[in-house]
Amino acid sequence: MTPGEPLISWDWIFSHLGDIGQRVGEHLVLTGLAVAIGLLLSVGPAIWIARHPRYYGPVLGFAGVLYTIPSLALFAVLVPITGLSLLTAVIGLVSYTLLFLIRNIVEGLTGVPADVRDAALGMGYTSRQLLWQVELPLALPAIVAGLRIATVSTIGLTTVTALIGQGGLGYFILDGLQRFFSTPLIVGAVLSVALAVVADGALVLVQRWAMPWARGSA
Amino acid sequence: MSFSPASERGTSSAPVSGARGHGAAVEFRHVTKRYGAGADAVAVVDNLSLVVGAGELCVLVGPSGCGKTTTLRMVNRLVEPTEGQVLIDGRDVATEDATALRRRIGYVIQQTGLFPHQTVAQNVATVPRLLGWPAARITERVDELLALVGLDPGRVRQRYPAELSGGERQRVGVARAMAAEPVVLLMDEPFGAVDPIVRERLQDELQRLHRTLGTTIIFVTHDVDEAIKLGDRVAVFQVGGRLAQYAPPAELLARPASKFVARFVGSDRALKLLTLLTVADAPLRDASTVPGDTPDAPLVALDRTTTLNDALSAILGSAVGAAVVVDEAGRQQGILTLDAIGTALRAATGDSHAAPVGAVCEPLSEAGGRLPRDAPGDAPNPASPTVGSKP
Repeated sequence: MTPGEPLISWDWIFSHLGDIGQRVGEHLVLTGLAVAIGLLLSVGPAIWIARHPRYYGPVLGFAGVLYTIPSLALFAVLVPITGLSLLTAVIGLVSYTLLFLIRNIVEGLTGVPADVRDAALGMGYTSRQLLWQVELPLALPAIVAGLRIATVSTIGLTTVTALIGQGGLGYFILDGLQRFFSTPLIVGAVLSVALAVVADGALVLVQRWAMPWARGSA
Repeated sequence: MSFSPASERGTSSAPVSGARGHGAAVEFRHVTKRYGAGADAVAVVDNLSLVVGAGELCVLVGPSGCGKTTTLRMVNRLVEPTEGQVLIDGRDVATEDATALRRRIGYVIQQTGLFPHQTVAQNVATVPRLLGWPAARITERVDELLALVGLDPGRVRQRYPAELSGGERQRVGVARAMAAEPVVLLMDEPFGAVDPIVRERLQDELQRLHRTLGTTIIFVTHDVDEAIKLGDRVAVFQVGGRLAQYAPPAELLARPASKFVARFVGSDRALKLLTLLTVADAPLRDASTVPGDTPDAPLVALDRTTTLNDALSAILGSAVGAAVVVDEAGRQQGILTLDAIGTALRAATGDSHAAPVGAVCEPLSEAGGRLPRDAPGDAPNPASPTVGSKP
């Protein structure tokens, strides 16, 4: 950055609006894909663990190990196998969502009050009806809480995927760093933070809308 | 809110007949439930045989750990017996699909088990929905049920359980259990978590519901007063899941089958029996034989449906030692004295060879110390000690 140059060049921003929009879109798609796939992968194991609590430790331990692998190291391992592809990015991002999602779904399911389960069975719910009509709806607050953590952390991590050519707002940050040009760096950073805040807020709204019964207590 | 004095039932154990007959008979035939295996197996219910007549309200009562809840849960197969059979209208419940069975049995529990994520209307509609009733019929039924349990449908229909009081939640629980017109209603300490005033009102309403609908009800409680108030017949359990006595409440109080039962119903069982008797059960004296009304000592007026317990209280509180009994028009029917209450009590105990009902005290050796543990072989006790009996 040359001395005297303004921190933010508005000219650059206005001339790159289309570009910025595209990167925001990529960022959202990557995040959405990762969280959606993470959720799909988590539900089965979580339901199973809720029924067989002795597997809680091992499965959560595995998800925890995945979470602790540094993202750069994970991409370094994956790139030789899956290339500089969207698949590589998504595999990495999904693996970071599993810990939160599995943990929260299990928590939600095991938190269903025993009397509610007892009454449901006593009135003739099958175990499938119990799961879909009672247990999962009651676990929703915990599940959405997990989704919020997973989404926010994935939005942060997605900036790293620019390193393997999978765009998102991380592209501007890399670009800024490489050219000693502060404007794209700031745009990338500010927008990814803004995305995280907005996504979190949107999920809170979804939660309120879907769970009128929990209003005020959640 | 309807109120039903105990006198309406009197000491009779026979269910009121009429346009009812919706209930099913429930029979336990040599039912045993053991937990654990081999030598470590512990019997929670031990060789229980018991018949609950169609349309009866049967109360299972006993100390905690006596197997009464396990017994209840064997009816809808939430617990499967180790040995023996449970039959509903003669049919072994084990031969029926558990889910289908449960949908025709009502189930009410203490913590209500209401679904917090569903409105009151959705909660009440649970079993009809599972059974696939058409939506219009369900809506109609929900309002009918809410009114039946004394709730205003318009007010509570769209509420969530968290927005209701404890008593209201319990009413919703009962409405939900009655939704698909079950042949048997199982209630596990349904009123245990509400305050005494609400509990009494819910008990009164349950009696009214039972009289109106004629559903067979099996009701678990650890509260002997509740058992005596509600039961057509009361099954007293003792620890180890053994049936100590199965009898109408009046008989339980008048002739407890063992020391355990006598202790369990309480040393004040004579007074409890008075709550089941009414002025109509007592011999009245001619009004002319007793000092009449004076401005200084007015006679308390009672009607024939007053319980003898209330009458006793009124007489003890009056200066005269007697009360006047009047009919609906206020005409004098006669005079009730303390002696007459004693006579009614002795008549209710029937057999003069049985333990005098006046024997309200434990033997001195026991009364002074802690209650001894219930001996497994607690034998029937016809020659109950008579310490403290009336002359």
